[in-house]
Amino acid sequence: MIYLDNAATSFPKPAECLRRALERYLQLGASPGRGGYDLAVEAEAAVSAVRRKLCRFFGAEEDHRTCFAYNATDALNLLIQGLLQPGGHVVSSRLEHNSVLRPLHHLQRQGRISFDLVPFNPDGFIEPEKVAAAIKPATKLVILTHSSNVLGTVQPVKAIAEVCRDRGVPLVLDVSQSAGAVPIRVKDWGVQGVAFTGHKSLLGPTGIGGLMLSPDLNPESTRFGGTGVDSKSPYHTQEYPYRLEAGTINFLGILGLEESLDYVEQTCPSSYGREMSLLKKLRDGLNELPGVRIYCCEHLEDHLPVLTCTVAGRDAADVGAILDGDFGIAVRAGLHCAPFVHRDLGTLEKGAVRFSPGPFNTEAEIDETVKAMAAIAR
Amino acid sequence: MSAEPPKQGKDPGRCARVIAGRKVTFDDEGFFDDFEDWSEEIFEALAHESGISLITDRHRQVVRVLREFYAYNGRAPLNNELRKGTGMSLLELDSLFPGGLKKGARLLSGLPNPKTCN
Repeated sequence: MIYLDNAATSFPKPAECLRRALERYLQLGASPGRGGYDLAVEAEAAVSAVRRKLCRFFGAEEDHRTCFAYNATDALNLLIQGLLQPGGHVVSSRLEHNSVLRPLHHLQRQGRISFDLVPFNPDGFIEPEKVAAAIKPATKLVILTHSSNVLGTVQPVKAIAEVCRDRGVPLVLDVSQSAGAVPIRVKDWGVQGVAFTGHKSLLGPTGIGGLMLSPDLNPESTRFGGTGVDSKSPYHTQEYPYRLEAGTINFLGILGLEESLDYVEQTCPSSYGREMSLLKKLRDGLNELPGVRIYCCEHLEDHLPVLTCTVAGRDAADVGAILDGDFGIAVRAGLHCAPFVHRDLGTLEKGAVRFSPGPFNTEAEIDETVKAMAAIAR
Repeated sequence: MSAEPPKQGKDPGRCARVIAGRKVTFDDEGFFDDFEDWSEEIFEALAHESGISLITDRHRQVVRVLREFYAYNGRAPLNNELRKGTGMSLLELDSLFPGGLKKGARLLSGLPNPKTCN
């Protein structure tokens, strides 16, 4: 099989990372921070080490808080639902994934918040001036994707962060697609938080993600329960990181994430360059095919290895099925959980096909993919 | 651009029609609500509506494979299973139905709308 759906989840994973994580889990897998015996203390120390490693990885200050969640969607829910108070206003964008859109719509339907979605320009970028124009006195949060999961465009977050800082509004980024592919520099950019997932370009297992927050961003707890600390209190602790973590955390996932972070730190720059070279080859090949329309991929600067296209006269779901059934090529067809992007591209009705090469794809696989698309687009 | 709350309805886009003497309910994309509502006569009527001027044995073979597989397994065939079951490439199969694989072959066979993220 030719796997070109790395924007959904990277596959395969580096096997040695999973083996090492499993080996450590087999030795250390007590309940982290839930007991005074040595093994539980060691397990908690291992988790704390991963929190610190994530801080370094995302270029954050040491006092930033890393709270684990199941994935980026879970983390974004914790942030959005915990941070916004009645009457609050949010600025986000039409590039967002449902992981941001649905929590916002949920709170809006309850009458608790209002929000505005900033449009993207024809090249797939959010313009800082548009963000500035959307900020109101009631705006409590600007929350944006760092990179579109449909278009692959990496947003000018440093300039947007300056706008937000000038207006005194915190900026949080959804770095689901970008973390592990391109550097994330929380401190340098001046963003107040990121929501990440471990299973995409970070090459870790599914089921682990989280939030990294600056000390001035304090979401209320929206989940309550055991934390291993302050057990006699009837209320959930406000102490970080437990404030946003309830119940036993995914220790195996955290160990897997740690291993994959090490792997990605060693391979990231060369891997990204290679994947972008594959993307360029794919784009150039598809550009030659009549009936194939590619979106926002003309310039590959500030871009992730993600290409979305349509084939004239065909439903995206059918193109995806033919690629899979006849050619053994796995891609993602449909709306990619980002309905506003497709509405604005004009692809809401028939969807689009997304190709996302990863670190283990080859040039030969891209050649095969272009040939398959040529047969479909004929 | 201000985001307005989406309108909520119980069954937006759902509709019922009488076809070949039988009342059939479809979802907003035209898929059968109930697999058991399908009949040869309804298939023929819908196939003509979809632009198939002449229903061939190959059309019927695809429909038979899809329906038998679904009835036995409780799910639609995987892409590979569909190819093997019909003995056709999906590209060939797609070209048989003006609506394509999903909104042609699958829909006309009375299988439910796949609830994938699209």
